[in-house]
Amino acid sequence: MKPGGVTLSVCLLFAFLAGVSVAQQGLDPQKLLQREPTDTWPTYNGDYSGRRFSPLTQIHAANVSSLSLAWMFRVTIPGGTMRGGGEPQIKSTPLQVNGILYFTVPDHVYAVDARTGLELWHYDWVDAGGHLVGNRGVGMSGEWLYFLAPDGWFISLEAKTGKERWRKKVADEKMQYFTTAAPMVVGNHVIVGVGGDAIDVPGYLESRDPVTGELQWRWNTEPQKGEPGSETWPNDAAMAHGGGMTWLPGTYDKDLNLLYWGTGNPNPVIAGQGRKGADLWTCSIVALNPDTGKLVWYFQGSPHDTHDWDNTETPVLFDAEIDGKPRKLLGQAARNGYFFALDRTNGTNIVSKPFVHLNWSRGVDAKGQPIPDEAKEPTVDGALLTINWGGGTNWMPPSFSPQTGLFYVNATQGYSLSYLTDTSERPEGYGGSGRALWSQHVLEALDYKTGDLKWSHAYTGDSIAGRLGGPGILTTAGNLLFSGDYKGNLIAFNATNGDILWHFPMLRGLDNGPETYLLDDRQYLVAGAGDTLYVFTLIPTP
Amino acid sequence: MCALECNHVSQMKLLRARSRAIPVLRACGAVVVVLLAAVAPSRPQQAKPAASGQGAAETQEDSRAVRTREFLGLGKMPDARMAAEGAKIFGPTCGFCHGVDARGATGPDLLRSPVVLDDNQGEVIGPMVREGRPSKGMPAFPSFTDDQLRDIAEFLHLQVELAANRGTYKILNVVTGDAKAGKAYFNGAGKCSTCHSTTSDLAHIGSKMEASDLQQAFLYPGARGFSEEGPKSPPNATVTLPDGKTITGTVKHQDDFYISLYDAEGNYHSIALEKDVKVQFEDKLLFHRQMLDKYTNTQMHDLTAYLVTLK
Repeated sequence: MKPGGVTLSVCLLFAFLAGVSVAQQGLDPQKLLQREPTDTWPTYNGDYSGRRFSPLTQIHAANVSSLSLAWMFRVTIPGGTMRGGGEPQIKSTPLQVNGILYFTVPDHVYAVDARTGLELWHYDWVDAGGHLVGNRGVGMSGEWLYFLAPDGWFISLEAKTGKERWRKKVADEKMQYFTTAAPMVVGNHVIVGVGGDAIDVPGYLESRDPVTGELQWRWNTEPQKGEPGSETWPNDAAMAHGGGMTWLPGTYDKDLNLLYWGTGNPNPVIAGQGRKGADLWTCSIVALNPDTGKLVWYFQGSPHDTHDWDNTETPVLFDAEIDGKPRKLLGQAARNGYFFALDRTNGTNIVSKPFVHLNWSRGVDAKGQPIPDEAKEPTVDGALLTINWGGGTNWMPPSFSPQTGLFYVNATQGYSLSYLTDTSERPEGYGGSGRALWSQHVLEALDYKTGDLKWSHAYTGDSIAGRLGGPGILTTAGNLLFSGDYKGNLIAFNATNGDILWHFPMLRGLDNGPETYLLDDRQYLVAGAGDTLYVFTLIPTP
Repeated sequence: MCALECNHVSQMKLLRARSRAIPVLRACGAVVVVLLAAVAPSRPQQAKPAASGQGAAETQEDSRAVRTREFLGLGKMPDARMAAEGAKIFGPTCGFCHGVDARGATGPDLLRSPVVLDDNQGEVIGPMVREGRPSKGMPAFPSFTDDQLRDIAEFLHLQVELAANRGTYKILNVVTGDAKAGKAYFNGAGKCSTCHSTTSDLAHIGSKMEASDLQQAFLYPGARGFSEEGPKSPPNATVTLPDGKTITGTVKHQDDFYISLYDAEGNYHSIALEKDVKVQFEDKLLFHRQMLDKYTNTQMHDLTAYLVTLK
């Protein structure tokens, strides 16, 4: 080390001892309020908006073809495969804080040197149940990480060491709840969502204290007996079947102090004969006060869902013009195949338009909410549906680029059959199933003002409809869109027109949202595919 | 006669399949669709090996149930024999309050009861039944033997299993249509008989496949094999290189960047989809895709009812 380096280190040490409040390895809380991430990726979506847009331009449309692999990191878990599943899939979006990446697969948290891929620590949880369908990553506040184990444990780890600080039970895996979300840190709250659909249990969203892990509030996704919203269920017994799970991270508007969250399907999942009505607040976008957990407004994307079309897809927040006037908007490409644009101050609908061909709806009501066609509900002998069985999209992150004004989503066009397998008056569980027919994966760029398609790219080759993993999307100010096909290619598109500019064949298909950041003035791109994290940067000029 | 309209193809640019709509082509039979490089043909989804017999089908379904159970973390598989014994006790004794299926009546739904879900082999349910819950109106049943309580517990666990483990779900009955109307549709408006014959390719199809599989298969054969042999074989394609040379074979891989295929001699070819490389796919399923927009549920069920008669 050069003498100058030592001097600098000593200076930094004095600065630290003199009372710099944020420790070197911790996350400066201000970074969470940053409009767009640059030298860090401090939360699931990079920032609270959910746009997954980076202002970085070092990698741009003209030089992206020089993007090169910097390092890879392969996750290894005891036994090699997950209970009831195959190899682990990285569906989490890593946090990058002060040169360290923190990411997860179900039951496991990793800290890895963002420059080299060197593993610093690995936290290995032995679960007592819970579905290992995925894990979206960790949340961070200061020196502490927050992780949800699949069996309902909310766990805080010391970021430096991976040592457990405490654990709190937030959901009961015996009741078939499971926990996959990335906890979301908002001010003095850690917002924790839950999943569960095998047994009919009610959904909820919790706020926990970042220091103690204790409950601050719980918002139930169904009304309690006699409360507003209960009139959308036929009776209290049906309402007790619940649903409306909160399994994907939401978004947050600091100025409005509103937390936006998507809720999942009602229970039973497919068999809806015992719960006639809209079934609030399942399959909805809700705006909550993050300090109290009180509902401020809701918009129901799929009233009376009978197709497992969770409305949990990221509610993306952006400010843009409608009819020449600046508006605070919320956009969502929902699993039911509709693109929604809402005024996020009050939930007023601006656009409801299908982004895939579909025939399950008879149009929209006065509030812009789709009206389900009873003739397309699941039947014993099968109902033919124009839409992929898994829906028009799924959990994989979409993106909005303020540079192009386009909303991007990985969509699936298709047809399917839906069956009712439980005909009792009191169905329970799923109570039905589906069969895939033809389908095709398509990357779509939508005009947020109309929902109209501006460009699309149909991925060539085999598609795997119904696959629970899927390629997320990142856009950057370099006029780039990063995503992947279902064959293992990580692809850079021109965000304006959809031209393919670069690709890299990975060993598995992209199954998380790609991210980017600056480290040592060098822009990196990170993508997860199967059990491996791939990190790219530009080949240095000599 | 097949009227092939390829106008959508001409609008597609190299390496940019941008069609939002499903290409609307009028065609029949085995159609060769001429596509420029990297335009997607439709390919099978979730293709599963078709069972070669009833026994194999059962095994496959059982393994799906076991796998799903493990994935869901539902614990051990309930004992069917004990559950059957338990049903005999539960129905007459408990059914009045909890329903014979334990899904609740005047008393609570037991499928979502922590008493049931926390129980492994009667250690929670047993004492609960024996002692009752007088404060909640549940009487005590002190006369049950340990074995009887165990059987009741297994009955309840089986009810949970049948609802919660979707790997156990079975399609109930797809044969609800009018076979006569289905036959007329097959030979008439459905145009099935243009390409298919009930005495050759579809002979005895009703004996070869489960009715629910058959319904899925005729709607889109790419989704599962339209025979007992299994999924549809990979498509054939002809690649024309910039110098005019052609390679025809069975597609091994294709994406936006490469296509690879085996020719008739078994030689392997891997070709970058660069400018001026053309790919022709043999697309036998185009008509099936077009029909997906046209079938009514009634027509579909009539066709199923007819095809299952082809024993």
